[in-house]
Amino acid sequence: MTMAEDAGVVVASRERTEKRRTRFWTDRQANVLVAALLFVALPLLTEHAMPKLLEQHHYFNLDVGVAMAVAAISLNLLLGYTGQISLGHAGLLAAGAFASGIMTSRWHASMVFGLLFAMVVGAAVAFVLGLPALRLSGLYLGIVTVIFGLAMQSSILRSSLLSGGSAGVPMFRRVWGSTMTTDNAVFLVVSLLLLLGVWLVDVNVVNTRLGRAFRTIRENEAVAAAFGIPVTRYKLLAFTISGAMAGLAGAMYGHTIGFVNNEKPFDSTMSLMLVIIVMVAGAGRRLAVVFAALLFWLFPSFIEGLHQWSYVLGAFLLMATVRTHPDGIADMLHHMRRPPRADADAADGEEELPALPQLPAPVRALESVVSLTDTPLLDVRGMSVRFGGLTAVDDVSLSVPAGSVVGLIGPNGAGKSTLFNAISGLVRTESGQISLRGKEIQDLRCDQRASLGIARSFQHVGLARDLSVRENFLLAQHQLAPYSDIEALLMLPRAARAEAEFRERADQAIAALGFEEMAHMPVRNLSGGQQRIVEIACLLVTAPELVLLDEPSAGMAPAAAENLAARLRDLRDALGRTVLLIEHNVPLVLDTCDYVYVLDAGRLIAEGAPAEIAANRSVIDAYFGAAV
Amino acid sequence: MQVLVVGLIAGSIYALIALGIALVYKATRVLNFAQAEIGTGTLYFTWWLCTRHHLPWIVGALASIAAATAIGLVFEALVIRKMMTAPRVTVTVATIGLFSFVLALELAFFAGTIYLVPPPIHPGGVRIGGVFVSWSQWLALGVVGLVALGLAAFLRYTDFGLAVQASADDPVAAQLMGTPRARISAFTWGMAGALSALAVLLIEPTVGVLSPGAFNGLFIGGLTAALVGGLNSLPGAFIGGLAVGVVEAEVKAHLSFNVIPSSNVTAMLVIVLGVLLLRPQGLLGATAGRRA
Amino acid sequence: MSAALLEVRGLRAGFGAQTILHGVDLDVPEGKVVGIFGLNGAGKSVLLKVIAGVVPAWSGSVCLAGEDVTRTSPERRVQRGMAHVPQGRQVFGSLTVEQNLRVGAYALRRRDKSRYDERLAQVYETFPKLAERRRQPAVTLSGGEQAMLAVGRALIGDPKIVLIDEPSAGLAPSVVEDLLGVLLAVRSLGLTMLLVEQNIRFGLRLSDSACLLQRGRVVYSGDTASLDQERLGTYLGVGRLLADDLTKGLGAKSTQPRRASRRKAATVSST
Repeated sequence: MTMAEDAGVVVASRERTEKRRTRFWTDRQANVLVAALLFVALPLLTEHAMPKLLEQHHYFNLDVGVAMAVAAISLNLLLGYTGQISLGHAGLLAAGAFASGIMTSRWHASMVFGLLFAMVVGAAVAFVLGLPALRLSGLYLGIVTVIFGLAMQSSILRSSLLSGGSAGVPMFRRVWGSTMTTDNAVFLVVSLLLLLGVWLVDVNVVNTRLGRAFRTIRENEAVAAAFGIPVTRYKLLAFTISGAMAGLAGAMYGHTIGFVNNEKPFDSTMSLMLVIIVMVAGAGRRLAVVFAALLFWLFPSFIEGLHQWSYVLGAFLLMATVRTHPDGIADMLHHMRRPPRADADAADGEEELPALPQLPAPVRALESVVSLTDTPLLDVRGMSVRFGGLTAVDDVSLSVPAGSVVGLIGPNGAGKSTLFNAISGLVRTESGQISLRGKEIQDLRCDQRASLGIARSFQHVGLARDLSVRENFLLAQHQLAPYSDIEALLMLPRAARAEAEFRERADQAIAALGFEEMAHMPVRNLSGGQQRIVEIACLLVTAPELVLLDEPSAGMAPAAAENLAARLRDLRDALGRTVLLIEHNVPLVLDTCDYVYVLDAGRLIAEGAPAEIAANRSVIDAYFGAAV
Repeated sequence: MQVLVVGLIAGSIYALIALGIALVYKATRVLNFAQAEIGTGTLYFTWWLCTRHHLPWIVGALASIAAATAIGLVFEALVIRKMMTAPRVTVTVATIGLFSFVLALELAFFAGTIYLVPPPIHPGGVRIGGVFVSWSQWLALGVVGLVALGLAAFLRYTDFGLAVQASADDPVAAQLMGTPRARISAFTWGMAGALSALAVLLIEPTVGVLSPGAFNGLFIGGLTAALVGGLNSLPGAFIGGLAVGVVEAEVKAHLSFNVIPSSNVTAMLVIVLGVLLLRPQGLLGATAGRRA
Repeated sequence: MSAALLEVRGLRAGFGAQTILHGVDLDVPEGKVVGIFGLNGAGKSVLLKVIAGVVPAWSGSVCLAGEDVTRTSPERRVQRGMAHVPQGRQVFGSLTVEQNLRVGAYALRRRDKSRYDERLAQVYETFPKLAERRRQPAVTLSGGEQAMLAVGRALIGDPKIVLIDEPSAGLAPSVVEDLLGVLLAVRSLGLTMLLVEQNIRFGLRLSDSACLLQRGRVVYSGDTASLDQERLGTYLGVGRLLADDLTKGLGAKSTQPRRASRRKAATVSST
């Protein structure tokens, strides 16, 4: 699935066949198949059924490698997708190993429960660590986890409550009752199935709103927030999932070696090693990371004495990659194969923007136009917003009739964006009321207002530039997702259906724009004008009635801005949407809008048809600065 | 009383690490995860000079400080300077690389054996009012006091020191005033290296042995201290160091070994989680007056 | 002397794939004040940053007093006689007023420490408020005082040219008026200045000539007096709004500010 990014313009035909294949082999079917495999295969696994291809100690090494591959996927989910650092991952692995060890040795339970318990404990520990740390910047999780890792190693795991001194915990591979399996080959099959399961969960993360939210947070938390993603909650979710996977990996490792204590094998160097593997191989690239983990743990075990030096080399590579190519070796190889497209500077601004997609108009709009023609779509009465002592918006009233384009102009710092924030629900209003189609909405949350049909763009924020065009269209539907996180992780029917619907809508939008060739390109490779049009189209994909646009022409060349004006009129005339527009580009506003409000220092100083505004004396003052 | 004094002395050494972390963080918004490991690596230099070549402790100590400063400078020149505009988290990962690199070299060359560094001065000490303080503890107190005061004076009274502070407030504006950004950056990392070596040299008599990662506790203490103090505040780092040292000594003295061995490290984890929950800006952070 | 003090030729610059300056030419003659005007996103601040050396030029050149400084570091340009009043003033909040001035004089003190005291006295004479507050951390100053400190910090190094980025932004109207007085006084000293300003009235009253920037290109460059009103309005994106209003502003500029500057000049000892 990550390979989807590879599909560019050149291989469009191959991509099409791929698409057909994925339709046949859906995510969900893969998940179901693995579940069935686990159910059927596990009881059949006995030592006698295993072909003796390798020596036991080779199987042993493979078992360890597979466990570490799971650990690498776990850290990759956190570090690669979400961009949060954990320097104490070994501590999470150890927590899982101890949990499963205590379950199987002290409580005589089956390893199945041990492994489940390991995941629960790993997730719980991660949750507790992440709760205080993840409200803050990424640095703090690093601080907490590095201390956690060392505290586990030198203190917590030595507690008599857990291990009876520093004796450690034996890890039995208890199948049931007193039946144990000691064969490493059998355990390899179990490990591989678990790896496959974790792999699929990770694929599910990437293919649902979870992964899109994670990756947007990594790139820019402000953009994520603009798409309606609760940032802290998703960071915590990522660390918790990662913790569960780490717990499982630790238990797998522990059951391979049969015994764990506070230092073996989960010491602080393992945490560092995992960071090295993920960063050097390529953060966010699952296949590369798994491959690197296997390589790193298998290779030295065949050649004596290599282990220490591979660590020296790894640490050196970490500094080198981070310095010259922070996206890792996999990304470097990817770029060598297909160099990133340098944007044609000359074309910038002169290009023709495509028409906005003819997406289905909102059903609600029609009925409101019919039944409530004289009620404005949006009506703001006497609204004030204060920050501390500063009144950012002062007793503003405005109304936006359905099917019109209304402009809001004013100099820098006039409070235009704050007004938008208040309408969309990002800041609390001090007083006044906001009604949408006659219904008061000032007490609703941001996402509730969104679901009533308000969409807004943000000045200078725009899109998640590392994600593809298609992923941005999917991201734009984040708040519509009807499924829970668990449903997403396991790709249960509701999640699969919703995602299919999102993809369909995204593909519709892309087709309507005629951007099929660029669908899988990272947005940053698009020209400024193209990005802007994708941004506006993203707002439309959720079928809103009212579109709030914050400076859509910022950074556009004059020709592109003119083009934009035509597209904005399309929004009204062809798509039947209502637009409230903030702009610095006054000619654009005068050209496009049916009605214009002028804001200065938080107050409305003028309103009227464009022609009246152009002749208004106080507007001139607002723009040129009061006479000094 | 004895506990309090022991805590204050250990805390003053944590303060050195915390000062290094805060200095780098203030100047570059990067958390230096290698802050204690640089000095641990160069302590092997001291061991080699003092036991193999029978040179006096002070020579070995100076060599260690010089080597650590050099590591800081080289790291700055080869890695940090090329990442001036990189996201701060990425640069922080680079310091994790340095941490791993030094640790990996120690493991590759010195793993498995425990090395002993001769004590800086004669064993023994003096008893004041029922509290025993060894000579090396006196040395630690004296050196930490001198270094902290010296650093404070340097930053306050010299042109270059003021430039360092200005650069920490706003690197671009400081550069526009004509201060040399590259040299300020080099100074910061060189100083971080020197402080690292000094802290490790001073705490070594207390730890007693030298092995790879032996001073992880020092790093944890310093990191906690820096966080308690507010990450970007140098006075905060100093006070944080003392506070963490005292709390650690008290916890150690009152929690039985069996329930939680090395309970002091767990105490650090609890302190850090508590600080992040209740006062993430630390004791003196953010009051240092930065207009965003 | 035909060459301008600051000469910018064919400057192109931007970020990533985005070109912001498409070949800008600009001359700042000695003793003149040049104002750069344009809309948000026209590239005004980026132009100033490229001249300062904080943002690299892709192509083109920047010459200061006949010397090509296109590839030199910002601090080197400061040593060559450039000084800055950054956007948002950016005083060093944790340092005192006097320490701020000392940092501003970093290059001067390295060249000639003895001149520092003399310059410091001059700055305090120009801005008596700063002398009163010399021991206070800069963060405790009011917006207007911070503006004075930022200007004083630029002047203390005895620069050939001062680059001023949006001085009036974020200041209350009364403070803007004070600031205008300060800058007019500085101007009357014959100091060369390059100014970026959004508040057109403010900017036009300070500048001798104007440079209109639109989407990274210079669309007008020349005397403020002969600036075509209609065109100014169009290029700044305010269209037909302007009418006669701005003409009044310009007319006033040629007489009244000169007087004001002479009055203020009394408090500034000439160099």
